[in-house]
Amino acid sequence: QVSVINTVDTSHEDMIHDAQMDYYGTRLATCSSDRSVKIFDVRNGGQILIADLRGHEGPVWQVAWAHPMYGNILASCSYDRKVIIWKEENGTWEKTYEYTGHDSSVNSVCWAPHDYGLILACGSSDGAISLLSYTGDGQWEIKKISNAHTIGCNAVSWAPAVVPGSLIEQPSGQKPNYIKRFASGGCDNLVKIWKEEDGQWKEEQKLEAHSDWVRDVAWAPSIGLPTSTIASCSQDGRVFIWTCDDASGNSWSPKLLHKFNDVVWHVSWSITANILAVSGGDNKVTLWKESVDGLWACISDVNKGQGGVSAVTEGQQNEQ
Amino acid sequence: QVSILSAMELIWNLCEILFVEAAAAGPLLLRLLDWVRLHVCDVDTMVREVLSSENPSKHKLFWNVVDVFVLQGRMDEARHLLSKEATANPTSMNMYKILDDLMKKMPVPSLGNTQTLTELELKWQHWHEECQRYLQDGTFASNPHMESLCKVLLGDEDAILEKKELMTTWYHFLVTRLLYSHPTVKPMELRFYAQSSMDLFLGGESSPEPLDMILMAAFEFEMHQVIKECSIVLSNWWFVAHLTDLLDHCKLLQSHNLYFGSNMREFLLLEYASGLFSHHSLWQLGVDYFDHCPEYGRVYLELHIERVPLNTEQKALKVLRICEQRQMHEQVRSICKIMAMKALRNNRLGSALSWSIRAKDAAFATLISDRFLKDYCERGCFSDLDLIDNLGPSMLLSDRLTFLGKYREFHRLYGEKRFPEAARLLLTLMTAHIAPCSFWMTLLTDALPLLEQKEVIFSAEQTYELMRCLEDLTAGNPDKQKFQEDDVETTKVEMLRLALARNLARVIVKEGTVEGS
Repeated sequence: QVSVINTVDTSHEDMIHDAQMDYYGTRLATCSSDRSVKIFDVRNGGQILIADLRGHEGPVWQVAWAHPMYGNILASCSYDRKVIIWKEENGTWEKTYEYTGHDSSVNSVCWAPHDYGLILACGSSDGAISLLSYTGDGQWEIKKISNAHTIGCNAVSWAPAVVPGSLIEQPSGQKPNYIKRFASGGCDNLVKIWKEEDGQWKEEQKLEAHSDWVRDVAWAPSIGLPTSTIASCSQDGRVFIWTCDDASGNSWSPKLLHKFNDVVWHVSWSITANILAVSGGDNKVTLWKESVDGLWACISDVNKGQGGVSAVTEGQQNEQ
Repeated sequence: QVSILSAMELIWNLCEILFVEAAAAGPLLLRLLDWVRLHVCDVDTMVREVLSSENPSKHKLFWNVVDVFVLQGRMDEARHLLSKEATANPTSMNMYKILDDLMKKMPVPSLGNTQTLTELELKWQHWHEECQRYLQDGTFASNPHMESLCKVLLGDEDAILEKKELMTTWYHFLVTRLLYSHPTVKPMELRFYAQSSMDLFLGGESSPEPLDMILMAAFEFEMHQVIKECSIVLSNWWFVAHLTDLLDHCKLLQSHNLYFGSNMREFLLLEYASGLFSHHSLWQLGVDYFDHCPEYGRVYLELHIERVPLNTEQKALKVLRICEQRQMHEQVRSICKIMAMKALRNNRLGSALSWSIRAKDAAFATLISDRFLKDYCERGCFSDLDLIDNLGPSMLLSDRLTFLGKYREFHRLYGEKRFPEAARLLLTLMTAHIAPCSFWMTLLTDALPLLEQKEVIFSAEQTYELMRCLEDLTAGNPDKQKFQEDDVETTKVEMLRLALARNLARVIVKEGTVEGS
């Protein structure tokens, strides 16, 4: 049984494209076609507007919270080709960096696992993916993967910083050798997996199953098992769950979660990766769980509001 | 209306009787009777009312209460009430005596091993026949209440069903039926009686509710079904997790190997504990639950514990203690870093420094040390002296931190007027490159008062070293223009050169002088 815990009236003047809870589930960041990014304190079922951030000149598509060890940092990306990084200093939120290296709309931003440092991946309609790494003192180093997806890149999602199989093998005393990976989804109907080798980013895998633009990808958090899991959703109404059983990341096999009647815009995993939230043009948010026999079952659906639900986030909500 | 909590108690007790205790035929019935008496409470008010009235036998609900007692097998209480009726109505004394006798003699299963089931069955058969005879003789014909009671004793379903409202539930009906028709019922036979009881009681008027289905599954000994139905109906995992845990400990659940390799007990406990984590204080209980999940507990705990909001320092310390007890080093580091960053944002440098030391975060420690030094340059004094003075070996975490500690030590030595030591330390800071180049000017300026002392402190060699440092600093500075234009800087350099030269002069003389002559 799933119950709606809270609704937040954001007073956005136009469509809301994304809503993300922070690490602790105490704050909510929302962004909209009205060009603003709003931050709310949502503790104890309340909703207090903390900040109304203006700086974009077009609809803002996504927001992403960085890990709290770097402070209170939020990234936003917009149709105006900009990526803005906001930081809270002395109780007020300010723009701390603006990236304008893309030639068209930036559709997705995603922070890397904190173990890698403060790194942001951005996917754009110009087909490129940029990686911004904070090097200190307000400086950011840029790496760009051009032509990552033909026509455009719609989503980026980082793999968790876990050496696969660590639940079973005993980790050694020193820091493990992380291999940085992330997944991206694009207008070429593909999901691609990128790996960093010797400081360069290379395409490691191409996952083909969708018949239309991939709208979102989400790499599931790891619980140390030797499997990796990615969820992808597309304009074709399908959501696929990709799993890879070996540590080297070579063989990915797709399983169809469901075929919806409309575009599926977003997918998002819960903290321990046992629930997947899916939102789509059919105005519903559905939650899915894997059952004993490996099949995915819908454990709820929530029908809210009049318009299509386009963003979903899994926070600290108590659902079963 | 059965509230959720009472429903849970009802189910739990039944599971205890049927699964955990696995009561055998004989005691099974007694347990079920206890169960009914404990949980079907709607009639309690009526009972109390009648018993506490002045003249119970005249109360309009008197017979209802007697019926209740008989239906629940509470023979002694029934007989006690009946005796009051008998004294009030001497005409029915005979009937009363016979009924009383029957009730007294009714064979019931005993808890000890005093009789076998066969013995009980025999006795019961005889008793049943005796009741039958009295009924057929028309002994109770003149008193419909007593007659109906006799029929109940005989296990007549219709008679029992007439008193539906007093039983309120089909499972009460089930137990009453069993008491008066088959007291030696075996556990495995329950399912048949249960199904028919429910059908007879509901009589097609109403359909079973979820609670009924759960109890039915229990009577059918379908443990998994019970768990499944409870999971669907109840709104949180608390009940199901604990019930499954209990059953698992009694080794009653065959491990259903779920896709992700864990078993059902662990699965439910994980779900329950995960739910606890979203609560601002119950998350601490969640920790213990995760501890008891051998396969995934640790990983789940690692993922969840990092997301506990660290509103206060106490909470952070609590979370840290939990992580440290379980050797979750990554989480410890991460939390310390978060607290350090928070402290820094609130300008609490001392707190930030101690957190970053705890996190063994060299980079951050360097950053904070720089802040300390910057503060010193601006204000001329240190904050958080206690902390810096007591750094101890953690000073070695980062070069900058070491410098900070040593620099403070220099100031202390100076304050204690241990000038030669202070001087030596100062010099080492520069020559051993512990001090960052940017700070050399400040250090040299600190050396000025030492150079100007009445007594000569720096030896010739040390003075040469100092001069070298100064030259390195001014020569190596690419911004020569700036240096020359900045009056304060040039004045400083000139003063230093002068002081150094004077010191050199004095020290050469001093060292050249033969002692004691």
